[in-house]
Amino acid sequence: MTEGNIACWKVKEGDSFSTGDVLLEIETDKAQMDVEAQDDGRMAKITQEAGSKGVKVGTRIAVLADIDDDLSTLTLPAAESAPTPSEQENKASINASKSSESHASASPSSRAEDSSTKPSNPPAPSTSPGRPQKQLYPLYPSIAQLLHENGLSSSEADKIPASGPKGRLLKGDVLGYLGRISSTYSSEQSTRITKLGHLDLSNVKPAPSKAMALSQPSKAQAQKRPGPELESTDTEVAIPISLSSVISVQQRIQATLGVTLPLSTFIARATELANDDLPRSAATKPTADELFNDVLGLNNVSTKTSKARYVPQITALPTKPFTERAGPRRQQDIYDILTGGSSTTALTKKFGIQPPGMMAGSKTGESTNVFSVSAAKGEEKRARVFLERIVHSKPQLLYSV
Amino acid sequence: MIRTLIPKSASSRGRGYATEASEHDLIIIGGGVAGYVAAIKAGQEGMKVACIEKRGVLGGTCLNVGCIPSKSLLNNSHMYHQILHDTKKRGIDVGDVKLNLKQMMAAKNTSVDGLTKGVEFLFKKNKVEYIKGTGAFSGENEVKVNLIDGGEQTLRGKNIFIATGSEATPFPGLTIDEKKVVTSTGAIALESVPKKMVVIGGGIIGLEMGSVWSRLGSEVTVVEFLGQIGGPGMDAEISKTTKKILEKQGMKFKLGTKVLKGDSSGEGVKLEVEAAKGGKAETLDADVVLVAIGRRPYTAGLGLENIGLEVDNKGRLIIDEQYRTKLPHIRVIGDCTFGPMLAHKAEEEGVAAVEFVKKGYGHVNYNAIPSVMYTHPEVAWVGQNEAELKEQGVKYKAGSFPFSANSRAKTNLETEGMVKFLADAETDRILGIHIVGPNAGEMIAEGVLAIEYGASSEDVGRTSHAHPTLAEAFKEAAMATYGKAIHY
Repeated sequence: MTEGNIACWKVKEGDSFSTGDVLLEIETDKAQMDVEAQDDGRMAKITQEAGSKGVKVGTRIAVLADIDDDLSTLTLPAAESAPTPSEQENKASINASKSSESHASASPSSRAEDSSTKPSNPPAPSTSPGRPQKQLYPLYPSIAQLLHENGLSSSEADKIPASGPKGRLLKGDVLGYLGRISSTYSSEQSTRITKLGHLDLSNVKPAPSKAMALSQPSKAQAQKRPGPELESTDTEVAIPISLSSVISVQQRIQATLGVTLPLSTFIARATELANDDLPRSAATKPTADELFNDVLGLNNVSTKTSKARYVPQITALPTKPFTERAGPRRQQDIYDILTGGSSTTALTKKFGIQPPGMMAGSKTGESTNVFSVSAAKGEEKRARVFLERIVHSKPQLLYSV
Repeated sequence: MIRTLIPKSASSRGRGYATEASEHDLIIIGGGVAGYVAAIKAGQEGMKVACIEKRGVLGGTCLNVGCIPSKSLLNNSHMYHQILHDTKKRGIDVGDVKLNLKQMMAAKNTSVDGLTKGVEFLFKKNKVEYIKGTGAFSGENEVKVNLIDGGEQTLRGKNIFIATGSEATPFPGLTIDEKKVVTSTGAIALESVPKKMVVIGGGIIGLEMGSVWSRLGSEVTVVEFLGQIGGPGMDAEISKTTKKILEKQGMKFKLGTKVLKGDSSGEGVKLEVEAAKGGKAETLDADVVLVAIGRRPYTAGLGLENIGLEVDNKGRLIIDEQYRTKLPHIRVIGDCTFGPMLAHKAEEEGVAAVEFVKKGYGHVNYNAIPSVMYTHPEVAWVGQNEAELKEQGVKYKAGSFPFSANSRAKTNLETEGMVKFLADAETDRILGIHIVGPNAGEMIAEGVLAIEYGASSEDVGRTSHAHPTLAEAFKEAAMATYGKAIHY
């Protein structure tokens, strides 16, 4: 906002007030608010009467005095200029700021320029350097020394424009006042140092937006896949596996122990082993533990694997085509077959039909079934490792059974 | 079965699969120094505050794998080194000295545990709700926490602070395994003293950890790309002095040198290095390589994309002067945003950010934040250095005082180093203070106070300092700046 109206004054000239008393009400087209006194004092002069419209921010609306000032002898400072401070003067125009927030935007009076800020009421965050004010703290040793050396009383310190933090008087201010150095140098320096006190956010270069950064790698991934149209669907990963060695083990067990272990037991066991510690799906989000390790810089310590719950679907293939392809072990194709029915039923069904064929095949060493699992997007590698493990885990199985 | 029938007490939270959102005044993501300090401050201000930490212990990098454990090792390795090399001349003959590294690490862990538990106690005292898990934004006012103990919990907050900190920047081409190729995290937990250690990066972290292992018997070589050690903030003269002292202690330096590539496939690690301005390449062998080339903001998994928050080209979350993101109720403090990555800076921001929320104004003076390197002797500084002042065209005068002329340093037989003041040539206002010497880290506090108050060197010089103390060197350096030192 740039201007506002004065609805009414709650104090008259000459009235005294204490901190927190409402001095006046101001209104804008949007809101009406009370302006409270920031300090005890007396109303010396009201320059904008109640009902004034369109008072510009920064215009003086009143002059306040200290509670013990004699109003009759007080000379009012000229408006809109920084006049020479006289001893008694401790007038500040109304400073309506309760917080820095409202300071910036609240009342027209909050920005009213005036001769001097009340010493006991330093405007919170922004002390513009270079105004004289009453020094409430012990003077710095260098200043006390300078004042004495130059025959100045310590009350003189209150007249020297103070550029230090929170309106403190610095050695440089006194040197400037004494004419030893340029009188503006000290406040310029304070401005520079104040700037150093803030984070430099003037030249922030945002990183390229996340969406763009993400879309690029995903494009690259898409190209690696057989067809981008597969992206959202599950892929079926399949690998041909000969069950002949399993069957021979089965037969050996039967011969030595007299127990018949069903093929499904072998497959279940192999599945269980193969499901352990599979590489994680590319789509999996990191877990708390990993992020934690990541913070510690241990990202390589964490395991990038997890247990899966794949159940292979087994389809018998005609013996012929695979007899032509000798050594079919690494025949890994990723192709787009939609998931069939429940894999459990598939298992039993196939087993119901297959054993004789497999037996026969095992004798020639040519019998091959296709083990397949359906893998969600990003899990192709995981599924493939799982199937490869089934292939390799058979000898282990042999000894562990 | 019976268990499921027992209704959960209203106060128990965090065990259910997804307890419903509860509104907090403030949610803080990250229980490191920025986060926990903000949480305690908010608790003191009477806010309903929750702090989410996924590490399982509070204190963040600083308490767990940073400042605190490294100081334990620095202190104890210094004692070991002193007993080996220094006590004899002081009239103390010590018999057989043996290093018990395991016990040294245990002592470190005791310190860390004590301090992290202490923070937890402060949480309880100030009624801060401590949630162990990983927080991610699921909405502008909503944080979903993946709890460490399983399950998840969604929190709603009027205000949210991001205080997720930083991580070590990896060196491209070298895989960190924290055994052979380590960051500071691995360097405080080595199981044996490596015979040869190469430190990539001669900044504060590299020199501190290099010092530890050098004292314990490693042959340490520091490879630094810049022409000086200590990082760009350290005053050049102080840096040079420090380098000489550390070299005397046995550390080797290769300045202006870049690491081309590394190979950790063999038993040790091989690093190929060459002079930065072109020169012959050479290969350095090491049993352990410490990667200490800096740290970078850590915001992964935070779900920033869910609410459209932006980071800058260095990964820092973009904020304004009141730490607000473009969503003004979300603020960012500590290492994951702008400014020096220092625990005490994060702490200041934690308090200031809460005050901005509660009171509309908070105070952090970034010109009065000290830096300390805890080598022996320590190095500490605040404000600007000579190079920075020259660059800004500020006329200054420098005054310094060596510890070799200080009575207390003399009696302690620790006379290396100096105090140096930089003050404005016209106003005498202190612009920077740089110390290398015994106890520099404690002494700098006085310098920070002086800068905070806009003091001149004369103000410090006219203030009484006890005799005999090391701090007298501080006073005398101030005197040397506006006039003359008495004892030098």
